[in-house]
Amino acid sequence: MTRLALEEVTFWYPATRAPALREVSLEVAAGEIVALVGKVGAGASTLLLVAADLAPRVTGGRLAGAVRRRARSGIVLPTPWTQLSGMAFTVWDEVAFGPANLGWPGHEIARHVDHALERLEIVSLAARDPITLSGGELQRVIVAGLLAMDPDLVLLDEPTAELDPAGARSMWRLLRLLAGEGKAIVVATSELDAVPDVADRVVWLEAGAVRAIGTPQLLAEDAACDDGLGTTVARIWRAAGLAPPYPLTVADAVQRWP
Amino acid sequence: MAVSATLRLDGVGFSYGAEAALRDVSFEVAAGERVALLGRNGAGKTTLVRLVAGLLHPDAGTVWVGGWDTGERAPEELARRVGSLFQHADQQLFARTVREDVGFGPRALGFPVHEVRRRTEEALDALALHAHAEQHPYDLPPALRKLAALAGALALEPMVLVLDEPTGGLDRGLRAHVADALREHAERGAALLVVTHDLAFAAETLDRGIVLDGGRLACDEPLAPLLGSAERLKPLGLVPPTVAALSVALDLSGRPVRERDAAHALARVAGGGPGL
Ligand SMILES: Nc1ncnc2c1ncn2[C@@H]1O[C@H](COP(=O)(O)OP(=O)(O)OP(=O)(O)O)[C@@H](O)[C@H]1O
Ligand SMILES: [Mg+2]
Repeated sequence: MTRLALEEVTFWYPATRAPALREVSLEVAAGEIVALVGKVGAGASTLLLVAADLAPRVTGGRLAGAVRRRARSGIVLPTPWTQLSGMAFTVWDEVAFGPANLGWPGHEIARHVDHALERLEIVSLAARDPITLSGGELQRVIVAGLLAMDPDLVLLDEPTAELDPAGARSMWRLLRLLAGEGKAIVVATSELDAVPDVADRVVWLEAGAVRAIGTPQLLAEDAACDDGLGTTVARIWRAAGLAPPYPLTVADAVQRWP
Repeated sequence: MAVSATLRLDGVGFSYGAEAALRDVSFEVAAGERVALLGRNGAGKTTLVRLVAGLLHPDAGTVWVGGWDTGERAPEELARRVGSLFQHADQQLFARTVREDVGFGPRALGFPVHEVRRRTEEALDALALHAHAEQHPYDLPPALRKLAALAGALALEPMVLVLDEPTGGLDRGLRAHVADALREHAERGAALLVVTHDLAFAAETLDRGIVLDGGRLACDEPLAPLLGSAERLKPLGLVPPTVAALSVALDLSGRPVRERDAAHALARVAGGGPGL
């Protein structure tokens, strides 16, 4: 079931003349993880804002084309520290803020909040004041707040930027779990090495337009490597002068190695 | 007291209220050294950055920059010696253009106009920000705003650079610019202390690793062998970066942790010609 469909979407921010997205078409189905990759400024963040109905509604600017959403969506911005409600004095209340706004009964809110805190491994932070958290602790709290609302469409912009390496791994595992529960997930990330094990499809954005859509195998192709979008293993294989197709991951490399 | 190191922490402790965030941390960083400050979320890295920048003062021990006790200096004065980048620095730009913001530090330190201009243009160049120099910082994506804040720290040409997560959200090209700029400042004598979760970036750019765990110093040693040891990293919340994992998995000689070295090692084994 399609959760999100963009049809030939072009989007202009108010302050700039060139469009930030150019005729982007993309469908995302329930249970699917789509990774957005590209250089800084290629349009991944803007695409997420459009998908979340924040652009142009909140950002201003102008949109051409059509966006269809058959889902309740939630987004984690690349600046999670700007997403605190400012209304909560404990992490628990912060995570409960979204569900409370949905008008759910108290026991439903509590169930979702407790589950989200467990999933992000931050139960021990429940009584803390959110403004005193470390960067990674806060990023987990913001993701927990999103999950507590149980959205069908999960939109994430660099969700591992502030996480320690072990935490980043847990985050990627959690996304697979959520997809397994039927959520549609779109994630922009510069952590290319994580993409092969996480994403079903990869969208390569360049100057606001879709340059290619495919399986993660895309990140082992010469064109992606040339643009700095190859995985580390693919780049090393290629730099060593070994023949394509290049392995994507360490596990692929081991299989390929005599 | 004889102070040889550029940056030196002597038995530093700090608590936010009842909870200790740092306990008895001691280390030195010499001029030209490139040090990674690693550790799991909540380990105390940002707290340490704030102490070095003089935004917080230690409850115990002393942070020395050159011969200065940072606890006795105002942050404005410390800016003559310490350039800092904070974790959420994207919110700390306030000028109307990126160029003006980058030049703010040197101007505030009282350098003459031509010197302010040289430093500003060099820093913009180093981080490939010239194309954005006349833009309003808030019209840029957050990753570029943070890069602009880093340019501002570099423009101070300080004796200590203490940077909290300089690469979050950057693409590979921009990360390489950051790496080159940091290497160059170290060559000119800056002491680098870089907080990062990006262990691939750390491996490419830095060569000594200090790991905090629960506010205590857990390791202080050469970075490359540490990054290759999954068993040692695991209890610290860390995971070997891809190159190190590949080296171990394929048993590459010398266990390289940098891409170029791994490609060479691989080419030698496979008999191909390295193209990096
Ligand atoms: N203002 C504060 N009040 C109370 N506790 C705080 C405050 N700031 C930080 N802490 C706590 O101090 C500890 C160290 O925080 P710090 O921000 O130094 O961690 P960090 O190593 O930078 O983590 P991260 O990788 O997540 O950025 C954490 O447990 C954090 O929750
Ligand atoms: Mg921090």
